[in-house]
Amino acid sequence: MTHFAELLLTGISMGSVYALIALGFVIIFKASEVVNFAHASLLLIGGFLIAELHGRIGFWPALLAGAAGAALAAAFVEFAIIRRSRAANHSVLAIVTIGVDIILATELTRRIGTQVMAMGDPWGDAVVHFGEVSIPETRLVALIVAGCLIGTFLLAFKYTGWGVAMRASAEDQEAAALMGVRLGRISLSAWAVAGALAAVAALFLTVFPTPGLDRTTGMIALKAFPAAILGGLDSTTGALVGGLIIGVTEALMSGYQGEMGSLGRGLGDVAPFLVMIIVLLIRPAGLFGTRELTRV
Amino acid sequence: MSRFRLRAGVVGAVILALAATSCASDKAVDGEAAVGADGVKHGPGVTDDTITVGMITDLTGPYAPLGKSISQAGRLYFEEVNAAGGICGRKVEPLVRDMSYDVQKTVSAYTELEPKVAALPQFIGSATVASVRDKLEASGPLTLALAWAPSILGAQSIQMTGTTYAVDVVNGVDFLVKERGLKAGDKIGHIYVEGDYGDDSLAGSKYAAEKLGMTVVEQKVKATDADMSSQVSTMEEAGVKAVILSIAPKQTASFVGVAATTGLKVPMLGSNSAFAPQLLATPAGPALLGDFYVLQASSPLSADLPIMKKIIDGYKAKYPQDGLDNGVMAGYTGSMVIGDALKKACENKDLSRAGIISAHRSQKAWDGGFGSTYDFSDPSQPPTRSTFILKPDADALGGLKIHKDRFTADLAASYPVTAS
Amino acid sequence: MSDSRNARLFRLALWAAAGAAAVLIPFYLDGFWLMAGLFAMSAAVGAIGLNLLTGATGQLSMGHAFFLAVGAYTYVYLSSESDDHLAGLGLPTGVAAIGAILAAGLAGGLFSPISARLKGAYLGIATFALIFLGQYLMHGAEAVTGGYNGRAVPPLTLFGFSFADTPELIVLGIPFGALERLWYLAVLVLIAAAWFAKGVLTGRPGLAMNTIRDHETAAGVMGVPVSRYRAGVFVLSSMYAGLAGVLLALVFQRTVPDYFGIVLALDYLAMIVIGGLGSVGGAVLGAFLVTLLPQLLTRYSDSLPLVAQPGTSGGFSPAEAARILYGSVVVAVVLFLPAGLLGLAQRVRQRLPGGLPHPSTPSRSAP
Repeated sequence: MTHFAELLLTGISMGSVYALIALGFVIIFKASEVVNFAHASLLLIGGFLIAELHGRIGFWPALLAGAAGAALAAAFVEFAIIRRSRAANHSVLAIVTIGVDIILATELTRRIGTQVMAMGDPWGDAVVHFGEVSIPETRLVALIVAGCLIGTFLLAFKYTGWGVAMRASAEDQEAAALMGVRLGRISLSAWAVAGALAAVAALFLTVFPTPGLDRTTGMIALKAFPAAILGGLDSTTGALVGGLIIGVTEALMSGYQGEMGSLGRGLGDVAPFLVMIIVLLIRPAGLFGTRELTRV
Repeated sequence: MSRFRLRAGVVGAVILALAATSCASDKAVDGEAAVGADGVKHGPGVTDDTITVGMITDLTGPYAPLGKSISQAGRLYFEEVNAAGGICGRKVEPLVRDMSYDVQKTVSAYTELEPKVAALPQFIGSATVASVRDKLEASGPLTLALAWAPSILGAQSIQMTGTTYAVDVVNGVDFLVKERGLKAGDKIGHIYVEGDYGDDSLAGSKYAAEKLGMTVVEQKVKATDADMSSQVSTMEEAGVKAVILSIAPKQTASFVGVAATTGLKVPMLGSNSAFAPQLLATPAGPALLGDFYVLQASSPLSADLPIMKKIIDGYKAKYPQDGLDNGVMAGYTGSMVIGDALKKACENKDLSRAGIISAHRSQKAWDGGFGSTYDFSDPSQPPTRSTFILKPDADALGGLKIHKDRFTADLAASYPVTAS
Repeated sequence: MSDSRNARLFRLALWAAAGAAAVLIPFYLDGFWLMAGLFAMSAAVGAIGLNLLTGATGQLSMGHAFFLAVGAYTYVYLSSESDDHLAGLGLPTGVAAIGAILAAGLAGGLFSPISARLKGAYLGIATFALIFLGQYLMHGAEAVTGGYNGRAVPPLTLFGFSFADTPELIVLGIPFGALERLWYLAVLVLIAAAWFAKGVLTGRPGLAMNTIRDHETAAGVMGVPVSRYRAGVFVLSSMYAGLAGVLLALVFQRTVPDYFGIVLALDYLAMIVIGGLGSVGGAVLGAFLVTLLPQLLTRYSDSLPLVAQPGTSGGFSPAEAARILYGSVVVAVVLFLPAGLLGLAQRVRQRLPGGLPHPSTPSRSAP
């Protein structure tokens, strides 16, 4: 039973970090209708900055700098590339972000090289015990921080002018522009926010129980794809639920692979995608996505 | 339309005429200019004044750190050889090709190098070697493969250094029984990564456990998994008495780091690819200095041997900005093995491909000065079955010091290594 | 009148040059270049298929590499003999090749509940799942795939002629090994694949596909069976991928799972964007560029600034330089050449004396 509880807790906390990445993904999609495949690199930029700077300026300023750096990088991508290629259709925009990802990831892996970079976080390898169940402090912090950030966003989406503008532009860009919503600004801010969220996610993906940031850290962002799609690409709630589903599925899959025999070997990798395919077969727009209706 | 056909006819005729003059091409079959001025038989990559060797390495992919040290140490060896007059009175020229651990690039690199080289003193990775294995076996040059899976054994032209993952693990289990008091009925945990490396390691632990009346609790992980908490929790749950780790270095750091904070207080053994000296600088560093050991067939850099000193000093002088890791040792030794095969082939006056391979295979007890001998005569077996037990040490060169000198357990000597 | 004749002459000269190159290359270039050319031609076949789907019909697929794997592995499975640990059916290789293409099409058909219902990003990421599924199957189903280390590929034999190094064959003093023989096969396959795809695109199906891409609702109103078309194009594109997979397997002479991964799937998307979406020529051009660029850089790295030689420190390694250049080309093409490099070539040709005004490239849907 403790084993199960530990796995579940790990799954939920990892899921909340995936949800952070997926949320950024969804925000970008809502604002500029782009599937951002460069998300992995944004995550790597944030993590790399934190790891590079914490020795010089301390952990908290480094975290801010990392989030700001990733936000700036994301905003730059939107401003210099995405906005300029407005004319292209969505598939092409998705492919452009693949190009951006290749450039950024190559340069970052070259800089990271063979290092495993520590994040210099204050939690270290402390572990919290709830009776029999023990969980690293970092995981709890991840859960709390991710929960707060996601909560803040859901509220901001509902109640602030920015959120209303964002929802309006996602609903109907032309109408929103006519009503005075500045599409460019909305799109820019969405990218920046997504970048900052990715940097926070990078921190929690590379602190204990993992040894630190290395060249492959960005690959973890791939798990946010099925999370975002599962929940529905235009739903912030969906990103949260999708992230949790993926995190828990993965933890349980790898924890109980021994009981599944040869079938279970390596299934953890495929499981998120299998879950996603099943959901899509039942609901083509994801669990919380809006279904496009075309009347003929 | 007819005019078009006429033109097409003219074009076709011109093409055929050009093709007929293809005797001007370098590819034309020529008579074998097979013997050099000094009476030594030549093969591909050998001329009267140079011997060309090739290295297919990874400088930009997952094994980039190792690939870099291996290539640089290989270059170092051949420079030393050339400074001392070369081999067979000829200068040795290494050609290095990066394949980023990508199969397509590997096949391209091999296709390019194959006609140009006398031998391949470095070829990294089991999947990459496997991708051109059939070609190597058919007519390839003597190749030193840096991979320790049994699937690369069994070809006359492919040579492994050290021993297979499974043999290392069998020796490791023997060490656990003899020195850490494991006994029949105990459980051994084994975390392994999918692929050759993990599968073969698991075969070793299962063999040893079966012979000793123990059971293996296995957990397969993916190469991309970074967090080993759930694996630690599973091992704790199962009540294992020791854990063997056949995973990537950062996964090792995670596992050992997490285990240190929970109730899993058991000895842990890492395969030779599960540790990297960079890990000692991470937050998991202190945990790795605890009850954790590394299984390795080759001598560590910190071994007290004159040849080791020579390699290290030479490397530091030539590449002052680069750190030292196991790749330095592997690269130098591998090139040395090839260098010695070339020297021997020269004594036999036969530097053809077959001549180099048979010269190499004629060595039953090759000794490079590392305190042990390698038997190269049987291509279906690893050249040695002995393993060091090493202990991470922040002050030791390469981050590892000898905990238990090289030994071959009886179980390892009888372990059936089957080449594919 | 004379203008159009000049244009015709120009085009004829171009085709003649290409034909001459295709025939003569095996007589002059060494194995490395033949290998590079074969990879490029195989990639071109696969890219044509993806361009029918993504470029012409607007269905984003990130799973193209999976169908390549289905083709390659099915060929190996059907043509190999069984032994102690690997299964095979031992069919004649020609039959196996056709079976492999059909199997890839079948795999595409089985995916139709997804491919006919989803679109845009959803379809893209759903097909992305296929890559992971493929890796799991290739590593897991060892009896069929040989697992991690893959399987040897039996050489193709057609009408008694074997595309292998043996038996020895010398043409005009040049030894013809497997690569030289496969070269001509690949040229013929590529021409046939391009010709068929051109027929599809210029005919009624092509019109319907473009209408689905540009305005799905309108296509439905005009009586195009949208779902059926989308599933059908998906199957056709998978068959192209299967054919490319068979060619690749023959060139590699061994299939390994590692090759059919994410990078390959993304490379294919880059090919069609760089070359030009929705056209056959664009797919071929993009495939050649993406496949040959890294090879050229690695081969001639010593004469390029900024690029370090393999095996030494400092600067960008050729592989890194190739990746960055390649990413930049993708971005630059989308920003500045919405019709891809092929569109650029056509515009240049219009400027030439006697050039014909070309029909403009397919219109894009408004965002």
